[in-house]
Amino acid sequence: MSSGEGGNGDDGETESGGSGGSSDADRGRGGDWRDRGRQTLDWLVNASAAQRMAISLAALVFAVIVGGILVFVSGFVATCRQPVLYIPLLGESCYNPAQVYWTMLEGAFGSTANLARTLQETTLLLFTGLSVAVAFRAGLFNVGTQGQMVLGALATGLALVPLGSVLPDSIIGMLVAIPLGLVVGAIVGGFWGFIPGAMKAYADANEVITTIMLNFVATGLAFYLVSEHLGDPGTGSVQTVPVPSVARLPPTIDGSRFSVIALVGALLVAVAIYLLYDRTVLGYELRTSGLQESAAEYSGVDAKRNVVTSMSLSGALGGIAGAVYVMMVHYRWQTGMPALGFDGIAVSVLAGNNPIGVVPAALLFGGLKSGSFAVDFALGVPGELVVVLRGLIILFVAMPEFFRMLGKYYDFGSDPEPVATDGGERR
Amino acid sequence: MSQTESESAAVRLDGITKRFPGVVANDDIDFTVERGTIHALVGENGAGKTTLMNVIYGLYEPTEGTVFVDGQPRAFESPRDAIDVGIGMIHQHFMLVDTMTVAENVVLGNEPTKLGGLLTDERAAVEATGDLADRYGFDIDPTERIEEISVGEQQRVEILKTLYRGADILIFDEPTAVLTPQEVEALFEVFEELIAQGKTIVFITHKLGEALSVADEISVLRDGELVGTLPAESADREELARMMVGRDVLLEVERQSSEYGEVVLETTDLTVDDDRGVRAVDGVDFTVHSGEIFGLAGVDGNGQSELIEAVTGLRLPEGGRIELHGDPITDWSRRERIEAGMSYVAEDRQKRSLVMEYDLLRNGVLGSQRLPGFSDGLQIDWGYTRQYVDDVIDEYDVRPADPGAEAVSLSGGNQQKFIVGREIERDPSLLVAAQPTRGVDIGSIEFIHNRLLDLKTEETAILLISSKLEEIQQLSDRIGVMYDGEIVAVVDPDEVSEEDLGLLMAGERPSGLDVDAARVRAGGSHE
Repeated sequence: MSSGEGGNGDDGETESGGSGGSSDADRGRGGDWRDRGRQTLDWLVNASAAQRMAISLAALVFAVIVGGILVFVSGFVATCRQPVLYIPLLGESCYNPAQVYWTMLEGAFGSTANLARTLQETTLLLFTGLSVAVAFRAGLFNVGTQGQMVLGALATGLALVPLGSVLPDSIIGMLVAIPLGLVVGAIVGGFWGFIPGAMKAYADANEVITTIMLNFVATGLAFYLVSEHLGDPGTGSVQTVPVPSVARLPPTIDGSRFSVIALVGALLVAVAIYLLYDRTVLGYELRTSGLQESAAEYSGVDAKRNVVTSMSLSGALGGIAGAVYVMMVHYRWQTGMPALGFDGIAVSVLAGNNPIGVVPAALLFGGLKSGSFAVDFALGVPGELVVVLRGLIILFVAMPEFFRMLGKYYDFGSDPEPVATDGGERR
Repeated sequence: MSQTESESAAVRLDGITKRFPGVVANDDIDFTVERGTIHALVGENGAGKTTLMNVIYGLYEPTEGTVFVDGQPRAFESPRDAIDVGIGMIHQHFMLVDTMTVAENVVLGNEPTKLGGLLTDERAAVEATGDLADRYGFDIDPTERIEEISVGEQQRVEILKTLYRGADILIFDEPTAVLTPQEVEALFEVFEELIAQGKTIVFITHKLGEALSVADEISVLRDGELVGTLPAESADREELARMMVGRDVLLEVERQSSEYGEVVLETTDLTVDDDRGVRAVDGVDFTVHSGEIFGLAGVDGNGQSELIEAVTGLRLPEGGRIELHGDPITDWSRRERIEAGMSYVAEDRQKRSLVMEYDLLRNGVLGSQRLPGFSDGLQIDWGYTRQYVDDVIDEYDVRPADPGAEAVSLSGGNQQKFIVGREIERDPSLLVAAQPTRGVDIGSIEFIHNRLLDLKTEETAILLISSKLEEIQQLSDRIGVMYDGEIVAVVDPDEVSEEDLGLLMAGERPSGLDVDAARVRAGGSHE
């Protein structure tokens, strides 16, 4: 289903160019394809929320089927000591697709420890996904969440270390240390978003380019600072001194590094951002400024300042992701942080940049990551194949949304009443 | 229709019906365009003019009926097919690449090549473009970039583009909507040249005057049906207007000369620079009273745009004072001016007055998002906004009547009606209306004009800027004429003739005209 849309979607896209030298027969077929492609795009653009959910579910099932076939076929090619599947006439396969998916599911949700690992990942992805979504909503593409997160994490990791000797190791101490850690992360991450925001607003520098560049600067800067000046002298690795226990989010499940407090906080942030854009004057103005600067000025808004605000807000959420990573997961800053910031882009796109939609998207990503970890660990399936399975699921689930955005961009589905929209002056 | 007639016709439509889900856009239309003539297609916004032309141009497939070109039945899959049989379309909003040269744009998609198709032959492109331009008498430099030439010249590039592709039948979609009066004149000369060279022209318009002055035949569409086709010589404005709207239309509104109230807006020695830092407004004084429409007439580019941007708070003046109700507002932000009761219908609606990606509901609060009622300063009251938008849509006949429709999906005329409604219904004490009826059809122009006149009785002060002289003359209580950054005269619309206004706008002093001596600055032009 989805692959069919793919081909047709392309056809619809090149429609205005036309296909010059094709024969009549070709054209007839092409026209047919084109029509169906158009209809599909129209339908996708106009799909209701419930329909879109159904599409996503169907895509998930489809991805599992395609992935299963892939695993099955790989199992024939691979050599192993103990084939797990025997099919008459075809022979033996090393991998059993059902088993792989089952292990994946179990690895994600099968035990409290696994669930904790999933939710840990989900929480972090919520923050980075929201960081990207906040900017997207305001018409800005922040690719710099990763760098904002790295610097936010470093700042939090450094700021919290001295607190161990100052604060009592109790709940009161935590009530001071943890908010402080979040604020420090937010400020530094926010500053790292402010820079590309200001460059965009006042120097017309494309934020996609500047944020990508600033990712390198952030990673390099953090590495330099820690390895040369601020690192833990007691170890050989590039890392900071661990934060004191007063600054660690207490694990909800013993032995795990997941705190339900952080998850609840992330969910609240998702709701807050939804309300910001849907209800408040500030959200309306931020969005207007990002979408159409001259119209924002017309409405009495300092559009440039708002672009800076949106990027700073986005950066602050990236910084908070870093702070939570330090306080909940790693308890210190260490070089080579996971690419949560980049995954955040995928999470946001999958969610259609809707802050509420980021929640299930982050959960899907978190579950897949944690589940594939288990597959890698428990079965003899190579890690690369597991990554392929994961990629297939994301690809299939994201594709309809991607085509929806594409269709919208190319103006499909927008003329149920073309007579009324007539007048020759579209755009 | 006899066979011989249809043989000579460039385009003949036979029973064209185009249905969209829930709507019939074109209903059984028979329509003939004779070779070598100019055929005007008039009708209100939403009458189905553009849909019909898109059928001819291959953008839409008709639900029923056949298109004949040169007597041959044709079925077009795409514009490419239409171009192949010699039909070209010049869209209202140009499809040009700003950063490329004129020649590059003209040959785009059909580039002459060299080295066996490996490279574009730039020189051949420039030559071909130059030859075409010479042949049709266009004064245009093929090597200039699109962003450097005027709108009128850009339109000529669009025409060259279709000619380059071998078009014999040229369809113009509202070609004059984006042009200044001078450019319109020039365009009509181009029309004549094209006809002289054997081309056929169909042009869509809702300006009856234009249709009457250049067309050979005029067809009127209303609600998707062809009401009739008349030879231009025997048609008159009133009759055409009645055919278009389906009722009698008052082409002239009654202006009640009312008593003015107190001064609402006053500028003193106002000086404003344009984007390049060149002086655009040079020491302008004027006042607008409550209950008065003060019209600003002038050829585009004589400082009107900069002047209203300074008044509305979108451009910082270099010097002088602006007062609103006696308060000095020169340094006030745009927000403060909105809060003080200033409404503004901007010239460039798609850039300023609307966020194209927002639906009408969200556009309905644009500018009012911090005004009481619409919000408490923190949260937007969507319920109130919805009610407001529904009222505007209803009263100003915005189509589609759907607050959830995105602004980009509305036609220009409907966008304009929505903006005018939004700005007027806010009960402003000062309305700055720049080109309030640009792109709007006749029936709606009448409505907007009446609404503006009503607003006077509600003691609103109105500053009106329009490139349509008759609009300025009909509505204004006083007319200020701008020339070269100055108001060279303030005249009484009942005393001044259109010719004299034209002379004033061109920087001349017509003799024997009372031009309110106190308002005239030394010499009337350069100092």
